[in-house]
Amino acid sequence: MPVDPNAQIEITAYQSVPPFAEGRIKDQRVRWALEEIDRPYRERLIGGIFEDKPVEYLADQPFGQVPVYKEGALTLFESGAILLHLGEQDERLLPRGAVRRGRAISWMIAALNSVEPTLQTLVVLSVAGAEQDWREPAMDAARPFAAKRLAQLARALGDRDWIDDSFTIGDLMAIDVLRAAPIAMLAAHPNLAAYVERGTQRPAFGRALAAQLAAYANHSKGD
Amino acid sequence: MPVNPDADIQIIAFDWVPDFARGFVRDLRPRWACEELGIDYAEELISAVKRPLDHYRLQPWGQVPVLRDGDITLFESGAIMLHLAAKDARLLPTGAQARADATAWVFAALNSVEPMMFELGNVDIFSKDEEWAKLRRPGLIDFIRTRFGRLSDALGDNDYLLGDFSIADIAMATVLREGVEAGLIAEYPRLAAYLDRCTGRPAFQRAMAAQLASFKEEPVTA
Repeated sequence: MPVDPNAQIEITAYQSVPPFAEGRIKDQRVRWALEEIDRPYRERLIGGIFEDKPVEYLADQPFGQVPVYKEGALTLFESGAILLHLGEQDERLLPRGAVRRGRAISWMIAALNSVEPTLQTLVVLSVAGAEQDWREPAMDAARPFAAKRLAQLARALGDRDWIDDSFTIGDLMAIDVLRAAPIAMLAAHPNLAAYVERGTQRPAFGRALAAQLAAYANHSKGD
Repeated sequence: MPVNPDADIQIIAFDWVPDFARGFVRDLRPRWACEELGIDYAEELISAVKRPLDHYRLQPWGQVPVLRDGDITLFESGAIMLHLAAKDARLLPTGAQARADATAWVFAALNSVEPMMFELGNVDIFSKDEEWAKLRRPGLIDFIRTRFGRLSDALGDNDYLLGDFSIADIAMATVLREGVEAGLIAEYPRLAAYLDRCTGRPAFQRAMAAQLASFKEEPVTA
């Protein structure tokens, strides 16, 4: 089990988040990658998602987000940068050949910069617009951008199990991003829905999710 | 002069875009990186109006840029920036922590700052006459201000994000340019000076000139 208080690698995570965000905070991606390659890590819980972060934390993560990754003297932020770093260390996450490596990195960044913003907007509007009259028209305007991206992604994936011959950080990131898609929007593309199912059925994903949820559960028990 | 039809590296870009997009299409990022390093690149210009169908095999969204470098084909400007930067310590420093910082800032630009610029674009451009957009805007602006404030603090008195210029600045400056029209950058003197410093670099100016020079006056539809 990779969560180990004595591990050399440390990641930060929140102690508590609202129920809708449980399982969806971005330390999940890093936990998942670490589980895939059996690298033990310890957790540093930094309080609730809405609490002000101490100034020292902002030195590690300028926007006060999670996760921050530490490994010996190295500190890294942004889940994409952390996955790339882990991929460089293990070809189970990032193949060594230049062509396949390039494809995996292109897809990881596509997930972060071309797909996630369209889905994240829907989540943000849904939360920030709660009980506001503008929420529904704003979401109606945002939905076509997300739907178009998902249709293009479905066409690019086709009937393959993974983007490449084997699972990579490109799949890991794409699948974690797609988990935020509205259920009906994802279900409109059976191959994408199956892709997310295939990814989230991986034992490493399940262990990572359980570890994130356990951190919240321990906190709510009042430890 | 890096634009060279015989170069080993090819960048796929559009041969025409509407006026508002000129100077903002994302092949600007790899052009800028090539100019900083003095690496020649060839342009392969395609129609944005009638995109070649096989282009979607290279670029699932039908967008640009795509970069070819020998056997390697890359899409997404972020992936292309990292690939070009890895060729030279002037864009990606070799020390482990400095390299980690540069990479982290590239991702921060693409995943923590640019998504807010996309939403601002929806509110200010695509939906600007909608009632909901006027009501949504103040909350979005508050959110962007919080993040710009943090970015300004992180930059501090440095000239560039890592101190010395790196790929992180190509990523962040091209993202910040997307917010200039909303007037937000001007509220943060350090960020405004930073953006001027980045876009004042001769390599940026040459990259911009090369992008603008590649556009035809009218779209080619045939």
